[in-house]
Amino acid sequence: MPAIEVSHLSKSYHGTTAVADVSFEVGAGEIFGILGPNGAGKTTTVECISGLRTPDSGRIRVLGLDPHHDREALRQVLGVQLQESQLPGKIRVREALELYASFYTDPADVDQLLEQWGLADKAASRFGKLSGGQKQRLAVALAMVGNPRVVVLDELTTGLDPHARRTAWGLVEQIRAAGVTVLLVTHFMEEAERLCDRVAVIDRGRVAALDTPAGLAARGPAAGQRMRFRPSAPVAGADLLALPEVSRVEQHGSHLEVTGDADMISAVTAYLARRQIIAAELRVEQTSLDDAFIALTSHDGGISGSPAEAGVGGGTAGR
Amino acid sequence: MTAQILTPPRGPQPHSRPRLLPEFRMTGNGFRTLVRTQAKLLSREPTVVLAGVVLPVALIVVFGLVPSFTKPAANLGGKTTLDVYVPTFAMLSSVLTALTALPVTFADLRERGVLRRLAVSPVPAAGLLAAQVTVLVAAAASTATLVVLIGTVGFGAELPVNLGLMLASYVLGTTALISLGLLIAAKAPAAGVATGFGVPTMIVNFFFAGVYVPLQQLPHLLRTVSGFVPYGAIVDTWSGSGAAWQHLLVLAGYTVVGSLAAARFFKWE
Repeated sequence: MPAIEVSHLSKSYHGTTAVADVSFEVGAGEIFGILGPNGAGKTTTVECISGLRTPDSGRIRVLGLDPHHDREALRQVLGVQLQESQLPGKIRVREALELYASFYTDPADVDQLLEQWGLADKAASRFGKLSGGQKQRLAVALAMVGNPRVVVLDELTTGLDPHARRTAWGLVEQIRAAGVTVLLVTHFMEEAERLCDRVAVIDRGRVAALDTPAGLAARGPAAGQRMRFRPSAPVAGADLLALPEVSRVEQHGSHLEVTGDADMISAVTAYLARRQIIAAELRVEQTSLDDAFIALTSHDGGISGSPAEAGVGGGTAGR
Repeated sequence: MTAQILTPPRGPQPHSRPRLLPEFRMTGNGFRTLVRTQAKLLSREPTVVLAGVVLPVALIVVFGLVPSFTKPAANLGGKTTLDVYVPTFAMLSSVLTALTALPVTFADLRERGVLRRLAVSPVPAAGLLAAQVTVLVAAAASTATLVVLIGTVGFGAELPVNLGLMLASYVLGTTALISLGLLIAAKAPAAGVATGFGVPTMIVNFFFAGVYVPLQQLPHLLRTVSGFVPYGAIVDTWSGSGAAWQHLLVLAGYTVVGSLAAARFFKWE
């Protein structure tokens, strides 16, 4: 039995469609990513899965349970970390964990959770005094407090600095190591590439693509390679473009950026070698999930989601 | 370790019909921990403690210290001003906590997404409301006891004629007021809205309880209406002059209808 099944889910609010038709299955033990630009319907989808919203139509099962009708049973086996959810400012970290632990029939050990999520020295601190990273760690610890079999993490790392983000990724890997299925909502490509076994790209309320992160990156229309360097002598852009492996050449100040297929790098280096031109400050990039994401979610040439939101491009590799 | 009142069902349940009554299944340990945590959180809110506990006690002390308030007055039917105000101040804590602290606390938790987080845990809305009510009733009851003791033992005010009736009207009165507060608490999307509904409701209750003008001086029609307003019904029962059973019935009605509706229509966000 899959951990999560969603078929033909749709949900609108006051005539505005948030989710038009979303279907996917998450296998037990998987880390499954939901990617998409802001407003694509990611949060509505996980809210329906968590039983916070009732779908207009479609079918959802989590471990065989209907989130709406089997609400009580679902609560015991599903851990949820939500966006825009908080604790009272004056509750202490240990009090919060003990409170939530008391709601479950088979809770995790609070001291162990404090230790595991690096909160032991903050146990007596008030929630309102915690840093963003500490609040997120507590949110994950609370999602795990009932010993769940499935965990939903909605934008776990949004608002965290790069260091805290990497720590959070370690936490997600710990969850998986415990055998728990993870549904991870994110708009950071790097996060999806690093953590997810499979990814659904949701765009305008529909699943635009469903694949492994590598599979998605490879099938994006922009699949290929990109190199950037400062030539030791002027290079005629037109000559490079004439090479069959090259698809695009751009001049950025003293640097050239060349895009092309998988054999582009050797073709360009051979061309430069013949003219005894040295490529200084050479950087080579695989086109990444980032590019595939932008291609999948761009409408009419426009790009949804600002570059900052789309995250830093992954897969920068020197050669 | 977890003492359970009811065991949540394991595995899928038959698809249920719309419920009339709200669900109330939670672990016994969960309810106790929730009560304890809410009590701690309440004690960390100085304004609530000040209004709910310190204010009524301060008022009864001040009234007791005014010499003319402890002398029988003809226009109060031979009672002293203090006699008339002991029940009023004893109930004040219930009124303040029920109609301001309770709805504002919940609306604030809702506004800041605290309820949203609780909504994905196994705690039922009715359990959450019941725990908060337990804490507030305990706080209000201790305050009322203190006020009655200070008024009677400290300043020689008369105790109500019928102690049983007094207790019954106190308990039902408090639950009736809290049910009104719960109705606001169940729906108000923000603290400001909760105040907007809670404070006028409180002022109406104050008026019909004779806080502004002693009940004995109100026209007959208004005194009749006062029997159907929770605070008024309570105070009238205590004074021993009203139709006690009718008042208790009114208070019970508020309690049952209000609390069930609150749990049934509770909004998590």
